[in-house]
Amino acid sequence: MNTSTWLIRREFWENRAIWMIPAVFGGLLILAALFGQVSIPKLTSPAEMHEAAAAFQVIVGAMFYVVMSVYATWYLLDCLYTDRRDRSILFWKSLPISDARTVLIKLLIGMIVIPLVYFAAADVTALIGAFILSIRARASLGSALWQPDVWWQIQVLWVYCVIATALWYLPIAGWLMLVSAWAKRAVMLWAILPPLVLYILERVFFGTQIIGHAITRRMMGLPYVAFNGAKHMWTQGSGVVDNGGVPVTVWHLINPSGFFTSAETWIGAAVGVVLILGAIQLRMRRSEI
Amino acid sequence: MAPLIEARDLTKKYGAHVALDRANLNVEAGRIVGLIGPNGAGKTSALRAILGLTNYEGHLTVLGREPFRDRTALMNECCFIADVAVLPSWLRVDHAIDFVAGVHPRFRRDRALAFLAKTQIAGNRRMRELSKGMKTQVHLALTMAIDAKLLVLDEPTLGLDILARRAFYDALVNDYMDETRTILITTHQVEEVENLLTDIIFIDKGRIVLDTSLDDVATRFVAVAVTADRLDAARAEKPYYERHILGKVVLYFENADPGKLAAFGELHTPSVSDLFVAKLSGGAA
Repeated sequence: MNTSTWLIRREFWENRAIWMIPAVFGGLLILAALFGQVSIPKLTSPAEMHEAAAAFQVIVGAMFYVVMSVYATWYLLDCLYTDRRDRSILFWKSLPISDARTVLIKLLIGMIVIPLVYFAAADVTALIGAFILSIRARASLGSALWQPDVWWQIQVLWVYCVIATALWYLPIAGWLMLVSAWAKRAVMLWAILPPLVLYILERVFFGTQIIGHAITRRMMGLPYVAFNGAKHMWTQGSGVVDNGGVPVTVWHLINPSGFFTSAETWIGAAVGVVLILGAIQLRMRRSEI
Repeated sequence: MAPLIEARDLTKKYGAHVALDRANLNVEAGRIVGLIGPNGAGKTSALRAILGLTNYEGHLTVLGREPFRDRTALMNECCFIADVAVLPSWLRVDHAIDFVAGVHPRFRRDRALAFLAKTQIAGNRRMRELSKGMKTQVHLALTMAIDAKLLVLDEPTLGLDILARRAFYDALVNDYMDETRTILITTHQVEEVENLLTDIIFIDKGRIVLDTSLDDVATRFVAVAVTADRLDAARAEKPYYERHILGKVVLYFENADPGKLAAFGELHTPSVSDLFVAKLSGGAA
C-alpha cells in the first residue's frame, strides 16, 4: 500500500462516524420499515410499479444524502483543525508526508469517499427495506420494488450525484478547509461569519445582494444545473411518462451535458481550487494552536 | 564535511515580535546538542524552522536541504518528538506501527516491536487509554525504529515523572545513539541532560549567545570560589559573572589564565546549568 492508501485508512480509524452514522441511520429506517404503518394503494400498471421502485430508492437515497451533507460539512470543517487543537499535527508532520497530499486526501474523503459510503448504505437499506415492505404490503406491492433495471439506473444516478456534488460544492469545501486550516477556535463561527458580514456590508453600503445571491445560488442551485426539470421527477405523479409517453429513465432525469458545459460549474470549481491551494499553504505554515 | 545543520542570519518574526534575530549555528554529525535558553528565547522557533514547520528569513540547511521547502524529503532522514503528548488519542498502538511502517521508508517494524515487547502495552490499546509514561514509550518505539540521521527532541520529558524521564534518556543513549546519528534536544531541565550532551548552544532573546562543545567549555570557562579577602584582586581579572554562596563568592571567567586564577582559590569547570545562569545573567561575554 502506498502513502495515500494509508492516509485514507487513517481517516477511517479516526472518523469511525464515516460508517457508523450511515449504519445507525440505515438501521433506524429498517426499523421504521419493520414496525411503521404501511398503507400503499394497490399498484396495477407496470409503469406504476416502475415508478414505485424508483421513487422508493430515490427517497431512501435522498434521506441519506441529507444526512451525508451535514456530516461531510462537519468533517471538512474539522479535518484540518482537530489535529492542530490536540497537537497531534506535530506527530503527523514528523512523517514524510507532504501537506498537499494530506489536504487532498482529506478533500477526497469529504467529497468522494463519504458520499460513496452513504450511497452504499442507502443501497443496502433500500434492498432490506424493499424486502420487508414487499412482505408486509404484499397485497398491494407484489414484486413491484424488485426491478433490476431500475436498480442499475439508480446506481448511475448515485455516481452522477457524487461527481456533480463534488464539482458543484468544491468552492464550499475549499472554504471549509481553508477555515479549518486557519482558525484557532470556533471553526463553525469563522465559516459562517465572514460571508455573512460581507453580505450585510454589501447590502448596507451598495444596496445590492450580489454576494448573497451567489452564495444562495451555490447552496441551492445544484438541482437546477445538474438535473432536468420537475416534469421528469419520478416522485411526482406525472413523472412516470414524459410528454411523449415514453417511460422516464435516469437518463431523462440527469443533465450531464448541461452540467459539465455550464460556466457556473467551472467558475465555482476554479474558486474551489484556489481555496484549496490556500488551505495547503496554511497547512504548511500553521502547526499546533 | 558540511555541517548537518547550518543556519546563517536565521530570522523569524511574528508580527512585531522577533523570535529569532539573525541567529547563526552549526551542528556537526554525530553530536548530541543541547539547545538551551529561557522561556521565550526562541528555542521552539529555531526547532520549528529546522523541522520545516514554519517559514523563516535567512539561510538554513538541514541535511543539505531547505527545511520549509523540502520538509517531506527531510522527514525521510530526520525525525522528531515534540513533547510526548501529541500522539492522537484515537490511534491504536498496532495501527500506529502499521501506519508509520506504511509511510516511512526507514522504519523498521521489528525494532519497534522489540522495544514495545519490553513494556506492558498491548497492541489494541488506544492512546487515550495509556498513561503519559506509556505514551512516551510508544512514541519512543515509533521514533527509535526509524533509521534517522537527525533526531530532534523538543522538551521531550515535559510532564513526565522522574522515573519516566530517566527511562527516556537511558533508552536514548543506550538503545539509540551511535556515531551515525545526531540528536538536537531542547529542555528546561538542564541538569537532566548535561551528562549526555557533547555540545551546547545557548539562545537568548532570539540570538545565539554560546555555541560550543563541552570539551571546549572545560578549557574556556573556569569558576573560582574566592574568599572575601582576595575578592578585589580576583575581580581585577575581569570575571563576567559573580555568584554569592555561603559567604564565598564564585567568580566565572572566560578565556582567563588558569595559572593566575589558581592563586585566588580552587578552580573548577562550571556545570552547564551554572554556565547557563552565568552566561544569561552576566550578559556581556
